[in-house]
Amino acid sequence: MSEKGGSLETAREKKDDILFRFVDYAKTTSQKLARYLRRQTRSRRTFSDFLLKIALATAVVIIAAPFFMVILQVVSVGIPEVFGTGHGQGLEFFGTFPGPGLLGGIRNAIAGTILLMIVAASVGIPLSVLGAVYITEYAKPGRVTSAVEFAADVLAGIPSIVFGAFGFAFIVDFLHLGMGLIAGGFTLAFMMLPTVLRTTQEALKQVPMTLREASLALGATKWATTWNVTIRAAFPGIVTGVLLAVGRVMGETAPLIFTAGNTLGVPTSVTGGGSWVASLPYTIWAYITDPREYLQVKAHGAALVLILMVLVVDLIANIIMRKVTRRVV
Amino acid sequence: MSTSVRSFISRVVREIRTSKGAARIDLFGRFGLLISALASSGIIVLIFTFLWYESAPIMASPEGGIGIIFNTTWDPNRDLYGIAIFIVGSFMCTMLAIGIAVPLGIAGALHLSEFCPHRLRGTIRMIIEMMAAIPSIVYGLWAYLVIVPWIKNDLGPLFGVESSGLSLLAGGLILAIMLLPTIVTVSDDALRSVPRTLREASLALGATSTETAKKVVMGAAMPGIGAAIVLSLGRAVGETMAVLMVTGNSLQIPYSLFDPAYVMTSIITNQLGYAFVFPLWRSALFSVALVLLLMSVSFTIMAKLFIRWGMKTRGLR
Repeated sequence: MSEKGGSLETAREKKDDILFRFVDYAKTTSQKLARYLRRQTRSRRTFSDFLLKIALATAVVIIAAPFFMVILQVVSVGIPEVFGTGHGQGLEFFGTFPGPGLLGGIRNAIAGTILLMIVAASVGIPLSVLGAVYITEYAKPGRVTSAVEFAADVLAGIPSIVFGAFGFAFIVDFLHLGMGLIAGGFTLAFMMLPTVLRTTQEALKQVPMTLREASLALGATKWATTWNVTIRAAFPGIVTGVLLAVGRVMGETAPLIFTAGNTLGVPTSVTGGGSWVASLPYTIWAYITDPREYLQVKAHGAALVLILMVLVVDLIANIIMRKVTRRVV
Repeated sequence: MSTSVRSFISRVVREIRTSKGAARIDLFGRFGLLISALASSGIIVLIFTFLWYESAPIMASPEGGIGIIFNTTWDPNRDLYGIAIFIVGSFMCTMLAIGIAVPLGIAGALHLSEFCPHRLRGTIRMIIEMMAAIPSIVYGLWAYLVIVPWIKNDLGPLFGVESSGLSLLAGGLILAIMLLPTIVTVSDDALRSVPRTLREASLALGATSTETAKKVVMGAAMPGIGAAIVLSLGRAVGETMAVLMVTGNSLQIPYSLFDPAYVMTSIITNQLGYAFVFPLWRSALFSVALVLLLMSVSFTIMAKLFIRWGMKTRGLR
């Protein structure tokens, strides 16, 4: 036989070998499967055990499926807006104002969300962090502590639209501040309070007592100890809580409808009509309920930006939290 | 009382006068902290006060009174402010969502805590926590563009119902999806905090692993699961944007799953914007907000009672 024939022969052998191996593999797996199934169906009880396990696993698949469907919908429609090159797409999507016919980008919404977050954080964080410091470091365990904890838990459960109605009644109407950056930011700050307060409290509780005792033994006052030792030790935990709260309120629409107003530019003043501010969630809502087709596409782009912002904030929070727990444990 | 307050104040004043340097900073810092603690918990009092104050006119007027909670006709043009229609809508939507989400969520939590391979567990937990982070407006967008047409084009004809898709069913489905992360994570935590020894004892007696999970582990974790359900009830009643976009918002009590509904959060969102110049109308909307507030407070208290029950009977947490 020529060399050519030989190579053919070996090729055939190799093919046979692969085929044989495959058949062998299929046989053993099917045998294994059959054995497994036989074992599972040995009695009524083991079989129902088996079926229930499958049902539970299916439940997890059903639970997680909507996540992928939502992400798929938003990404598949939103990607051209965020990375495309047309008018109002790509960098223009972030860098330009909506302009006539709302054909441009969503710079007003992105800037508005960031501004609202700055106002909300600068009001909400000091209040809740300092409140948590008081109830964990200063107050004796008892009425004050449990009252503040209870208030925080109740606050965490209040529907977002109730915060919106309250912000409208109190800040916009009663205090005569009008809609805009201040009213919207304060309303979001109230929503941040419970999350930051409870996570700060947890972080402070995890600081070992010995650190405080060492500082006090060196002659430091309670205030100096709290400020220089305890808060510093609990700092990563506090940052985690703050980021989680920011991620949560960033996507809130309902509290902003009656407090922040809306604008196609950026706020030009702190109070009055010029302070009306747009936000990403509000823009998504306004665009999606608009009959114009291209606005619905833009809404997907805005939703993609919002999801990315929220997930990045949450991711940073998670990374910090993981680092901290590793250090403590 | 007054003498003790006076002595307290005089003591404080004396301390402020006599303290110097670090001690004075300590004292002032302490007051600063106390004030922020009081302020952050005072918000809840402020919210309650303002909603009460705003809903007082409708409660005091002849058109309203406490009876509006049982009246089902909402027509502000004729001074009819029955908010029962929204309470019923919210109730049905919530029950539908809870009916879907609770069995599914508990099943998922059982799988995660009892049967899931360790490596997969972390990934699934991460996905579910990310689901909780997705803003409700994004769920609303998806429901509006995917679930609603699906009900209109596929599910409706399947049952022979003519429906616009904007329906109680759409609201219930998207609410269920949004509740699942809460139910799964809270129940999973509760199931995992059940001591290992209980499972081992049950398995040693010859129970299969699902029998153990169903009867022993779930029984031990019942308070935690109860708290999860109550917490998600609160979230379901208060959810605004997603439900607003898909339930159709028509002033009727839904008699079938394909009928549109109007829930409490939607009526506030839709009408407060132009009702605020009409005292009674505005007041009626704030009374809806007050009902929502009272509901959410009672759900929070119920969840706390569940946890306390768990601590008392099972020593959990």
